[in-house]
Amino acid sequence: MDADDRRTGLSRRSLLAGAVGTVGLIGGASALAGCAGGDATGAGADAAGSASLVEGATVATAQLQHLPFFGTHQTGVTALHQASGLMAAFDVTAVDRDALIAMFRALTDEAVRIMTGKPYEELDANYPPLHTGHVTNPPPPHNLTVTVAVGASLFDDRFGLADDKPAELVKMPFLANDRLDPERSHGDLLLSINSDSQDVNLFALRQLMRATRSSLALHWMLEGYNRRVDAEPGEAGVRNLMGFVDGTANLDPQAQAQMDSSVWVAADGTEPAWAAGGTYQAVRTIRMLVEFWDRTRLDEQEALIGRRKESGAPLDGEKETDIPDFGADPDGRITPLDAHIRLANPRTPEVADQVILRKGFNYSRGFDGSGQLDQGLAFVSFQRSIERQFLPIQERLAGEPLEEYIRPEGGGFYFALPGVVEPGGYLGDGLLEPTTTSS
Amino acid sequence: MSRAHRLPRTGVAVLSGVLLTVGAVGCASTDDGGTVRNLDGTSVGSGSGSGSGSGSGSGLTEENTQGTTDNALILTAIDEYKVYVTEQLADTVATTTQMRDAIAAGDLEGAKALYAPSRQGWEAIEPIAGLIEEIDGLVDSRVDDFESETDPEFTGWHRIEYELWVNNDTAAAQPFADQLVTDLETLQREIATLEIPPAALTVGAGELIEEVSTGKITGEEDRYSSTDLWDFAANVNGSEKVIILLTPALDQANPALLGSITAGFAEINAALDPYRDGDGYRPYTDLSPADRTRMQTILAGLSENLSQVSGALGLG
Repeated sequence: MDADDRRTGLSRRSLLAGAVGTVGLIGGASALAGCAGGDATGAGADAAGSASLVEGATVATAQLQHLPFFGTHQTGVTALHQASGLMAAFDVTAVDRDALIAMFRALTDEAVRIMTGKPYEELDANYPPLHTGHVTNPPPPHNLTVTVAVGASLFDDRFGLADDKPAELVKMPFLANDRLDPERSHGDLLLSINSDSQDVNLFALRQLMRATRSSLALHWMLEGYNRRVDAEPGEAGVRNLMGFVDGTANLDPQAQAQMDSSVWVAADGTEPAWAAGGTYQAVRTIRMLVEFWDRTRLDEQEALIGRRKESGAPLDGEKETDIPDFGADPDGRITPLDAHIRLANPRTPEVADQVILRKGFNYSRGFDGSGQLDQGLAFVSFQRSIERQFLPIQERLAGEPLEEYIRPEGGGFYFALPGVVEPGGYLGDGLLEPTTTSS
Repeated sequence: MSRAHRLPRTGVAVLSGVLLTVGAVGCASTDDGGTVRNLDGTSVGSGSGSGSGSGSGSGLTEENTQGTTDNALILTAIDEYKVYVTEQLADTVATTTQMRDAIAAGDLEGAKALYAPSRQGWEAIEPIAGLIEEIDGLVDSRVDDFESETDPEFTGWHRIEYELWVNNDTAAAQPFADQLVTDLETLQREIATLEIPPAALTVGAGELIEEVSTGKITGEEDRYSSTDLWDFAANVNGSEKVIILLTPALDQANPALLGSITAGFAEINAALDPYRDGDGYRPYTDLSPADRTRMQTILAGLSENLSQVSGALGLG
């Protein structure tokens, strides 16, 4: 979106939509990574998209349905308002390209079945059942999406894919403040499973793994949620675990022109032909040191973030959807120059094209060896370019005071595959069998 | 199996799979001439069943009775498998006795060298041995089932392993070695009269691979000696033996499934091959993370296919 779009006022509702994403706006999390990003980074509220978009988003929220699988893009990138999230990264152990193709076909067939709600056959009692049985058969219509992405390591010498790697796909380097744990980072393939039910997500995970067991070994996994609360139009509706509204200014996935310019890789010669319709997926597991944060005085929290905690308003505004005017505060007297939302989105023309689509979730996975809660934000963003959109935001955030309260521990850079246009194709077919699937 | 059946909680969990097969045995014994299922699961009237078992026969249900068959190919396989079980047990008793003698002679290195070999026969037929109540907990439980290594109830191979590798103490190991030989001889006697229900073969073949996937490949089974890959191989061999014996029946019932399973065994054997060392295997600590991951998925795929065998053969 350009600056004008941001000011259309839809923002508020878009915020709602944005919430989906999770990401944080503010949040530190956001911060984290991404936050940056976004939009905006954050910025906010501002951003959002057009009204019609918002309407679409609203529909998605209100209805429980089976979502379509086939299309130019993977449905999971654009689906809105899914309350439960799960990511699982795998090492691929397929011995050769044929086995890799068989794995992607199996993955595709299973994803089609569970997303679109095709029932499993019930076998006689001498066999193990073909489905878990912990949800109905077929699974209930809870807006399930399965999104498949690949990591840079898939393009090593195992499958002869080195020349076909997306131009910007690399193993995620240590970015500012990172302490990436190898056991919670990277992987050859990433499954993102989202729906309105944790049960359905776990069902999907088990069915997908069962179909691909001989070729995929779990590398890391993370589960979480987006708890949407009743919100006034224009408010985010989701808070991160630092207690700040999160996702206020997310990109609207139904704004097609915006998606084309900011999210979808195009067949413009800068990327391998097969990659058109896909998108770079950045994942950052951002641990929040919540005990420390909860002991921090409110005005300090708000100065670190750049927003009021309760209202979500920027420090120079009154409500969440107000757009901060950093130009009127050049010395940072109202909003500190190193406040998270100001670094993430300084609201200058130079950063206007760094819009990213965020779609993460809050997570909690117990506690660490020192007895501190292990909670945070699974930051996820989709963008057309890691280098042009994602990394600049990270660079601005490097060294921000909020780093004291957050610790990126895992994640990775992945490339979400183009969609499968019609039955017969499979995720990755353009990469693996380019001659038979020219488009 | 590696957990003590004596402990109520783990015992129940671990036994659940075994109880099914025991039930099938009991069923056959109390229901001779009862309903027999054909390969497609349909009732084909009465038959002789696979025999009368000595199992505890608890929890008999209509479902369990499906454990009988009149498929001559399967019945032949069962007869051949009994021979295999007998051979493996004889080997285990003989080698364990040698280990016991080395321990009694204070020969620490000699005893250590016989530890992994003594387990080979047992590990190959472990699910069947599990049909004899109590034995598994006595001879093969791991310390996880006890509060500490010094718990007197912690007996069997792993207690001996602990005394030999951690304490370098043959004298401390000796009473446990004596008891192990006695317990295995008891097992040998009881197995001789045990009728093996057909489902015990098919379920057991799958259980052996599950054992590898959950215990051996993690290095937790033989944590003091790092001889896990010996057990790994024995489990795989025991499972593969069942499939080899059932090959004629499976080839008739579902040749595609048989092909997948045979390929799976070839893959896992090939993956294990670089770790061979003389008559045995290199220490678990030599296993590379990449090979371990690869083995993990081969075993997982094999497990999925083995889980279809009972259904394919119409065995409950």
